[in-house]
Amino acid sequence: MFHALVAVKQVPDTTNIRIDSETGNLVREGVPAIMNPYDAHALAEAVRWKQQLGGKVTVLSMGPNSFISTLREAVELGADRGVLLTDRKFAGADTLATSYVLAETIKAIHEQDPIHLIFFGKQAIDGDTAQVGPGVAVRLGLPIVTYAVKIREVNLEEGRAVIERKTERWTEVVETSLPVLLTCEKEIAEIPFAPLPDLIRSLRYDPEMWTMEGPCNFELDQVGVKGSPTIVYKMGTPPLPQPGEQINTRESGIEEAVKFAFDKANKAGIVKLILGGAR
Amino acid sequence: MNTRDERISFDVIVVGAGLAGPAAAMVAARAGLNVALIERGQKPGGKNYFGGAIYTHAIEELIPDFMNRRPPFERPVTEAGFWFLSEDGLTRMTVQGGKLANQPADAYTTLRASFDLWWTEQAQKEGVFLIPKTTVVDFIREADGQVIGVKTDRPQGDIYAPVVIICEGVNNLLTQKLGLIEHDLEPAHLALGVKQVISLPPETINARFGLPDNDHGLAVSVLGDVSLGLPGMGFVYTNSKTLSVGLGVMLSTLAEYKLKPYEVLQRYLQHPVIAPLVAGGQLLEYGGHLIPEGGYRDMPKLYTGGALVAGDAAAMVNALHWEGTNMAIIAGKLAGETAIEAHGRGDFSSKVMVGYEERLKESFILPDLKQYRGFSHFLDTHPEFMGTYPAFLNDALGDFFSAYGRPKMQLFKGMLGSLTGRRSLPRAAGDIISMGRAVLGW
Repeated sequence: MFHALVAVKQVPDTTNIRIDSETGNLVREGVPAIMNPYDAHALAEAVRWKQQLGGKVTVLSMGPNSFISTLREAVELGADRGVLLTDRKFAGADTLATSYVLAETIKAIHEQDPIHLIFFGKQAIDGDTAQVGPGVAVRLGLPIVTYAVKIREVNLEEGRAVIERKTERWTEVVETSLPVLLTCEKEIAEIPFAPLPDLIRSLRYDPEMWTMEGPCNFELDQVGVKGSPTIVYKMGTPPLPQPGEQINTRESGIEEAVKFAFDKANKAGIVKLILGGAR
Repeated sequence: MNTRDERISFDVIVVGAGLAGPAAAMVAARAGLNVALIERGQKPGGKNYFGGAIYTHAIEELIPDFMNRRPPFERPVTEAGFWFLSEDGLTRMTVQGGKLANQPADAYTTLRASFDLWWTEQAQKEGVFLIPKTTVVDFIREADGQVIGVKTDRPQGDIYAPVVIICEGVNNLLTQKLGLIEHDLEPAHLALGVKQVISLPPETINARFGLPDNDHGLAVSVLGDVSLGLPGMGFVYTNSKTLSVGLGVMLSTLAEYKLKPYEVLQRYLQHPVIAPLVAGGQLLEYGGHLIPEGGYRDMPKLYTGGALVAGDAAAMVNALHWEGTNMAIIAGKLAGETAIEAHGRGDFSSKVMVGYEERLKESFILPDLKQYRGFSHFLDTHPEFMGTYPAFLNDALGDFFSAYGRPKMQLFKGMLGSLTGRRSLPRAAGDIISMGRAVLGW
């Protein structure tokens, strides 16, 4: 039976954030928490395939109790089962420690109920690292398709899938064995407006809470702060880029303006560079 | 498809998690009824906005130990009153001490996004089932018109209940859909409230407003040179770490003079007396909301078979006294009690629903709304209360407390002249009488 797993993260709604001008930290007070938008689109695609093939969708997240609301939202969007990894010892994890905990958990879930597709968003809108998905794939020794925009085909019998991924210039079409891990762009699927019965079920749903105590066994020195070699040196807002010099062509005339621009380029050595290239 | 067995049903449906809705839901759930509270926003309070302050008498009526439940109040209102602005001056008429020193206070400054969330949580604690992110778009009715449920915007979105309490707010589309009010709201009876929430350190707020500490707060109505001499009222509320500063202007006025609400607000914030109060603050929030100021004359029919209307949807606002939130809460409570009675009697027809209106008549709500029924019209037709009189008051007091080395009689004559130059004495006397009539409901 088809089984997809979707890893979701709760993030502050960054369309709505403020930076504390003194500390440079994000002001989290009063900022609404949402499901990472890329994860939501990935989940929508997983649910779409479940509706086509039958089977089920499990969502997985790691974070404090407040993340329960995000797992409920996942159930609203069509997930069947939610697992929240929550333990003080997991706190302060960087992408290395996070991928360790997620990979171990996915292994355990896979043993209970074999997984065919593992979905991640392409990145989280708060950290923007895009590292956790690939990290999990490496730890599990799975093929990975990043920046997925479309799943053309899933063939459970033959154990293969055909996926389109976006690159800077074109779309690549890849065929992969299953299970496979994808990190998804928003184009992968539209987020549906859930039917009322699904919403009501989600509001009453309590996800499974997995901790250090079990059901998975974790190495203490690989989780949380202990398992995280990353050190944040400093955080701040980058300075606003200064606009360049401007010249009003109506006042100066076009010839003067071109000369002005050419002189600037010449002084900066750009003209030489271009002419040099032409030779 | 929902078959009859699978259909989603509750004992009571409440539409809207503002102030009236959770109150109605809380009261009904306490009596053991299975209550759904449907809210279109992501979270309760997300779509709600006011000046403001919350009156505790209404909260206490539903939750006697409310202070132990950590309501997200900003500051107690320990000083309240009017400020009269002239073009460049300010006369304050505020009261402090006495009743305003009560503990807990009679009113607290509040931000709705946090307050409404808490208020709904109190209802959820009584067993109310909150359904967010869902908009009620229509009703399910029997052939005879009896309401037996609602249709929402979601697929398979029908919900059934023999009583629906409509607390949908000022934009009362559902109330219209039931035919409880015939016409759409009129711009002349709708104020647009706009405000900025401006962040300042608490010590700065205390110093600028003469508050001894963070446990003291100010709430004032500002009349005069607020809205370019047009019907409208400004306000200033001190929160813990922010100020709520804004004004309300009638929609018809904005339309007639082609004013942009944010321009009027900007001008008010740049007033020579207001500007230093907000100087250096960081703008956190800018928003607006409609206020149904038509009062009694704009009230819909408040009930029909299987349905009741409460709060802004029923125009329960007393513009002069800034009352509305308390009316919404008490009306919600009375609607909840009516739903309980209907379930007790197993009769959801108008015969029982009319009990809601009777309860409102016995409370302060309908008597007050009836008494002030002329106030909105009075403001509309007497713009001098927003311009001429506040300006005169500032001039007269300024003169009174200045020494010019002239005989005092000259000064008084000058003051009288400054009034009669703006408004003849008989007309001024007429204005005072009109105001009395508007307030006393004669």
